[in-house]
Amino acid sequence: MQLRGWGGLVLAIAIVVMVALPLVIKNAFAIDILIRILLFAFIGTAWNLLGGYAKQLSLGHAAFFGLGAYTSTLLQIDLGISPWIGMAAGGVVGMLASLPIGWLCFRLRGPYFAIATIATAQVLMLVFLKFRDFAWGAEGTTIPNFGDAPLMMQFEGKAPYYYIVLGLLAAALAITAWVERSRIGYYLVAIGEDEDAAEAVGINVARVKRNIYMISSFLTALAGTFYTQYIYFIDPQTAFNFSVSIEAALVSIVGGVGTLWGPLIGTVLLETTSALLQSWLGNSIGGVQLTVYSLILMAVILWKPTGIMGYVAEVYARRRARPAKA
Amino acid sequence: MADALVIQNLNKRFGGLRAVQDVSFTVRENETLALIGPNGAGKTTAFNLIMGFHRPDAGSVSAFGREMVGRRPHDVCAHGLARTFQVAKPFGGMTVLDNVMTGAFLHDRSPGAAREKAREAIDFVGLSAREKTAARDLTTIDQRRLEMARALATQPRLLLLDEVMAGLNPAEVDQAVALVGKLSGRGLTIVIVEHLMRAIMALARHIVVLDHGQKIAEGSPKEIVENPEVIRAYLGSGYVRAPAGTAP
Amino acid sequence: MAQAVINGLLIGGVYALVSIGVTLIFGVVKIVNFAQGEFVMIGMYISYFLATQFGIDPVVSLLVSMPALFVIGVLVQHFLIRRVLGLNDLPQIFLTFALSLLILNLALMLFTANYRTVHTSYSDEVFHLGGLIVPVAKLIAFVLAMVLSGGLWVFLHTTDLGKAMRAASQNRDVAQLMGINPNRVFAVALGIALALAGAAGSLLMPFYPAYPLVGQVFVLMAFVAVVLGTLGNVIGALIASLLMGVAESLGIQFIGADSGLIVVFVLLLTTLAVRPSGLAGGGRR
Repeated sequence: MQLRGWGGLVLAIAIVVMVALPLVIKNAFAIDILIRILLFAFIGTAWNLLGGYAKQLSLGHAAFFGLGAYTSTLLQIDLGISPWIGMAAGGVVGMLASLPIGWLCFRLRGPYFAIATIATAQVLMLVFLKFRDFAWGAEGTTIPNFGDAPLMMQFEGKAPYYYIVLGLLAAALAITAWVERSRIGYYLVAIGEDEDAAEAVGINVARVKRNIYMISSFLTALAGTFYTQYIYFIDPQTAFNFSVSIEAALVSIVGGVGTLWGPLIGTVLLETTSALLQSWLGNSIGGVQLTVYSLILMAVILWKPTGIMGYVAEVYARRRARPAKA
Repeated sequence: MADALVIQNLNKRFGGLRAVQDVSFTVRENETLALIGPNGAGKTTAFNLIMGFHRPDAGSVSAFGREMVGRRPHDVCAHGLARTFQVAKPFGGMTVLDNVMTGAFLHDRSPGAAREKAREAIDFVGLSAREKTAARDLTTIDQRRLEMARALATQPRLLLLDEVMAGLNPAEVDQAVALVGKLSGRGLTIVIVEHLMRAIMALARHIVVLDHGQKIAEGSPKEIVENPEVIRAYLGSGYVRAPAGTAP
Repeated sequence: MAQAVINGLLIGGVYALVSIGVTLIFGVVKIVNFAQGEFVMIGMYISYFLATQFGIDPVVSLLVSMPALFVIGVLVQHFLIRRVLGLNDLPQIFLTFALSLLILNLALMLFTANYRTVHTSYSDEVFHLGGLIVPVAKLIAFVLAMVLSGGLWVFLHTTDLGKAMRAASQNRDVAQLMGINPNRVFAVALGIALALAGAAGSLLMPFYPAYPLVGQVFVLMAFVAVVLGTLGNVIGALIASLLMGVAESLGIQFIGADSGLIVVFVLLLTTLAVRPSGLAGGGRR
């Protein structure tokens, strides 16, 4: 990705716009949509590291989302620890959880890896549903409302939440950009293309997968904490919800797996569609959003599996290949 | 000269099929050994066993004095062994340069240094013009070159080449033979699996013949060509003549 | 405990229909059909509407649901599956996954999440075998499931088309060289697999409610059974399904009412942890 010339200028402008937005937009509903977009772009970018570049198609990232959410909430409610610390702790818990989960799931390839990841997220949900002793069971809990309490990650207006999640997304994008350029980035793409050939050129495939899974799960767990703080509520159904796993993969596929901006672009497309649907049809008819999402996914798979960024890259390559006009 | 590769009593079965049976041979440093045999003889399986893609049921593989059995392929590669695949396995979505860089990264962590080393390997095999081409868009022979460049980028001491000449026209074969010869000139130990007699004769002084997983002959090209077992394996008993007769 | 075993076996028969379909598709087309459960759901709704609108017994409605789903299977193969054959994992996984989401959510939109049940004359009937209670509806389901499975086995081993399917599943390239048209074989495989799913749905109606999410439960069972029984192995899937039914039933008996799912997951994860290499294709070399 070229950071020189036009690309750099566009990026700079975009950053300024993103930072200035909450100062201009005061409508709470609009900010909420923006926060959702940034949050799912963040989760999607985290997923993309493992699923997009290395093509390890996890459908169980909700496991880390939930673990992050529960870690920070437990620390906050049981021990009074600030969610800022709890968020970091949640990240670590997610990261550590990725080790046994990875050990188990990476034994499989392709669709069976996906199924195994689904299973692990579901098992976690069931565990948290069943055992009320340590984490409130099926009813979950609300976060006590302290009003405006920045140290406890609670704010009166929506703008601060916007900036937090914007920061998270920026961090994830920076990490991805760095990974793309570094040795591990090349290794990830190689693994995604052909694991055996990757081994043959000296790539320790198991270790690379393990490492990227740790980064991916750490970031996803942070999202869990954020979301819980944002909605002041947690329960196993929300925290380990399959739709989190789906959307993480979906936005990356639609936007372009294995690209830096793919997840963000995919999220913008899907969330705007979702918001539009909501305003036209309201929330009364269940299943509309996912129906539309699944149609979009099928369309992408059938016509452009490389997603929006893939299409953009093709157009760009075609233009460059065009002979210079006399 | 030291032994680069010592294979002893290598055995592997897949279900009921004995793919490799009690195979032993030694490759000296800087030697070029040809591993030949009819299709299904176990040659590629032998490569897979050497590189660690399969674990042998019994036997040992010792490279440059170190035991390789039980090591994962990436570890074997780190010990100086590299291979090409019979059916090329390029990283299709990556450019030629990026493909070869993945190999170069074994010894050079920084992308800049890896890129330089990669360019050397690409230049060596004659693919410089295609540096920015996506691997999946290459012709078959260029994909073979890419395989070789990628393997070379890992700076191997022993190179396993699996049928690199297959499907090439005579001019291309000459180029490939010259390339392999150059590698040998640089001190590399090479084991090639080949069917093309011309290439084998040009490159190898030491030949091992496998048939149905077993080693049936070993020796110089002249010895092999006159060996009745080899003739029988390739052409059937009808072609075996008395030992005093000339080879077909 | 024997009661739990009986219960488990009976439902296992239905699981078998679903999992055989999954393993058949995987064996022949080399694709994991994430949407298999949704086709069971379609079968259930077909039977539900035939029962409520026309008074047709669900078991009889097999004659409608099976052919209907066979046709759907052929269409799915022709319009969707065919286009991702030979591509890598991502399109193959996410196509059937998207299909599953699509069908499920369409059902949610059209039928709402309400449970629909069909009450037949024999829905509550049981007969007694020794000291054991055998529900008639479940018994019928089991018997017919076994009949259909047996029919499939005969088809695969005696008819030319069946043999062609087995050949294609073992070595697609050689099969093609022998003149077997892969697309035709795949279409039939999809058709049969979905017909079996539809049959499962119809057979379930007398004693199981229909609702959009119902497929998810059965597809999970199916995947575990397929993995346990070795990918592509029809008999393996059958036996594993029966075992799973029994395991689930024992779990419910001895651990708790809602533990069925946990038992299944634990079984899946244990199998993956302990013997992934024994399961061709799904594990490492």
